[in-house]
Amino acid sequence: MHVMIINGSPRVKQYSNTDKILAEFTQGMTENGTTFEQYEVSDRSQWDAIRAAYDKNDNILIALPLYVECIPGLLLEFLETLTPKSGDARMSFILQSGFAEGVQLRCGEAYLKILADRLGCEYMGTLVKGDNFSIRFTTEQQHKRVTEPYREMGRVFGRDGSFNAGECRKFTGPEIFPAHIRLLVGLIFMTVAHKGFDKIAEGLGCTKPLNYRPYES
Amino acid sequence: MILIVNTTSDTGITEELKLNLGERARDAQVIECRDLKIGNCIGCNYCWLKTPGECTVKDDYETILKNFIKADQLWVITDTALGFMDHKGKNIFDRILPVCTMYLKFVGKQMRHVPRYDHSADIGLIVTGEADMDYLNRWNERATLNIGSKSLGVYGKDELKEAASCM
Repeated sequence: MHVMIINGSPRVKQYSNTDKILAEFTQGMTENGTTFEQYEVSDRSQWDAIRAAYDKNDNILIALPLYVECIPGLLLEFLETLTPKSGDARMSFILQSGFAEGVQLRCGEAYLKILADRLGCEYMGTLVKGDNFSIRFTTEQQHKRVTEPYREMGRVFGRDGSFNAGECRKFTGPEIFPAHIRLLVGLIFMTVAHKGFDKIAEGLGCTKPLNYRPYES
Repeated sequence: MILIVNTTSDTGITEELKLNLGERARDAQVIECRDLKIGNCIGCNYCWLKTPGECTVKDDYETILKNFIKADQLWVITDTALGFMDHKGKNIFDRILPVCTMYLKFVGKQMRHVPRYDHSADIGLIVTGEADMDYLNRWNERATLNIGSKSLGVYGKDELKEAASCM
C-alpha cells in the first residue's frame, strides 16, 4: 500500500504537533512495507505538488488539528482548489486537538465524513485524539509519552488501510472525564497548569499577564 | 451593537439585510471584507502565550476583533464550499481565538478556555450557495458553546428576513 499524506496544520512544520504525531504514526505504518509521501499545507510553495499528488493517488490520509470545531481555514482554502475524485479513491483522517476529551472532537469528525464524500472519496474513518497541546512546548523525550502511542495506530492503519478497527476507536480515550477526575484536573488547571502556562509565556518573552485585555477601554 | 461581517464580494446582501432591519440598522456595524486583507490563523498560539489577546498576524482582522468584543451579536455572511462555509468565512472564526485565554476550566462536564472578556457575542451565520445546513447548525451551536455564547442560527441568502428578525 502507498499512502499520500497531507499535514493539514497551518503551523510551520518545525513547530507542528501534527507533524510530530505523523513522525511516530508513519514509523508504525511502514513496518509492513507500506510506503508514503508527505506534504505540508502550511507551505504554500508545495500546493501545486500536493494537488498533483492528490490527483495521482487513491489512498489519501489527511492529518489535522481541530480549529474552532472543524478544519483550519488554511486547509479549507487548499481543499477548495481540488477536483473531486470520480474513481475508487479512499480518504482517511487523523484529527488531533488540545482539549483532552473525545466529545470535543466529534463535531470536527462529523465534517470529515462530509468532506470525503464531497471530494468523491470513500470515507475510511478518522483517528480521533485530544490532549496534544503540550507537544510543541516539551522536549522530544517528554512528548514521546503523547506521540509514541500513535506508532501502534500506524501499524493498524498499515494493516487495515482504515481507522475502523476497535483499537482505533478505543485510542480516543474517554468521551468525558468522570466527576472525580474533573475535580482533580480542575484543581490542576487552577494551580500547576496555571503556573506552567505562565512559565511558558515568560520563556517566549511575554511581558503581560495572560489574561490581559488589550482592547478594553 | 450588531456586528455584521460580510466575507463575500456581494455587498448587495448587506444592503438588503439593512433594509430588513429597518430602524435597527442604526445599531448595526457592517464590515465589508471584499477589499480587506484577512489571512488565516497560523496556529502560533502567541495570542495566548506571548502577546495575550493580540494576534501576531498584522492585517485588517484587528478591526473585527476590536468590534467583536463590544458586540451583542456577530453575524458572518459567507460563501460556501465543500458542504461548509468557505475558507474566508472560517478564517473569521479561526482568528477569534484571542478572545480566549490560555487558562482552562471545566464548564459542566467539558473543558473550556477561560474567556478574556466578561462578555461574548451571540453568533449567527448567513450563507450563500449550497451547504450541509444541518451540519452548519451543529457547528455553530458547538462553536458558540466553546466561547460562552449562543447560536442565533444559520440562514440562507434567501432567508435574510428571518435572519433580521433575530437581530
